[in-house]
Amino acid sequence: MTNLEKYNSVFCETLQIEENKLAGLNYQGTELWDSVGHMTLVAALEDAFDIMMETDDMIDLSSYEKGKEILRNAYSIDL
Amino acid sequence: MDYNQIIEYQADRYPYLFFDRVDELVPGSYCVGYKNLTMNEWFFPIHFVNDPCMPGYLQAEALTQICALTILSLPGNKGKTILLLSCDELRLMKKVRPGDKLVLKTKLLSYRHGIAKGEGKGYVDDKLVCSSVFTFALSDMEGRQFPTPKQKKS
Repeated sequence: MTNLEKYNSVFCETLQIEENKLAGLNYQGTELWDSVGHMTLVAALEDAFDIMMETDDMIDLSSYEKGKEILRNAYSIDL
Repeated sequence: MDYNQIIEYQADRYPYLFFDRVDELVPGSYCVGYKNLTMNEWFFPIHFVNDPCMPGYLQAEALTQICALTILSLPGNKGKTILLLSCDELRLMKKVRPGDKLVLKTKLLSYRHGIAKGEGKGYVDDKLVCSSVFTFALSDMEGRQFPTPKQKKS
């Protein structure tokens, strides 16, 4: 599984959303991406990529695309 | 850990406490306990009238309650309530009936930012009867300010 597949899988499983709905998805853009869902998503990303996210990065993770940018730039994950 | 010790850590109470005893507990790691089922359980007379068996979602609840002890036994968490967030991959292999001893073996997979993920398996007479993967949070997370993105102004 590539890193992108892993990343997409975390979003799809945590937010119970189809992969084709991920592009353009923002925080609170789907029912399960509320505050608790956000922390569940952060925890799942940390588990999947074996990282510990900084608080500022959790706040910045405001969209599917932004998350990719954060993982690439702050955690050197090739996405 | 007997009943009196269990209720020091676990906020659920009879008739919604689904284990009688804890045999093994390593905080932050794993927990094993069991529930002895008798016809006196509140759900047997109604589920089902002529075929009493433990509802599947209560088996999932029992696994979650036992697994929750792995974080309730960590410093500062004693007696807090647990909120179930998700229950995935629930498998129910065999009916659990009056007279059965349901052994619950659970493992904490991760615990980050107050969100815990665990897995559990239930056994009767050493035979696997149920399994599940679940996510839960401490109840005080509800009122806590999560580090979340700022909401967009409309």
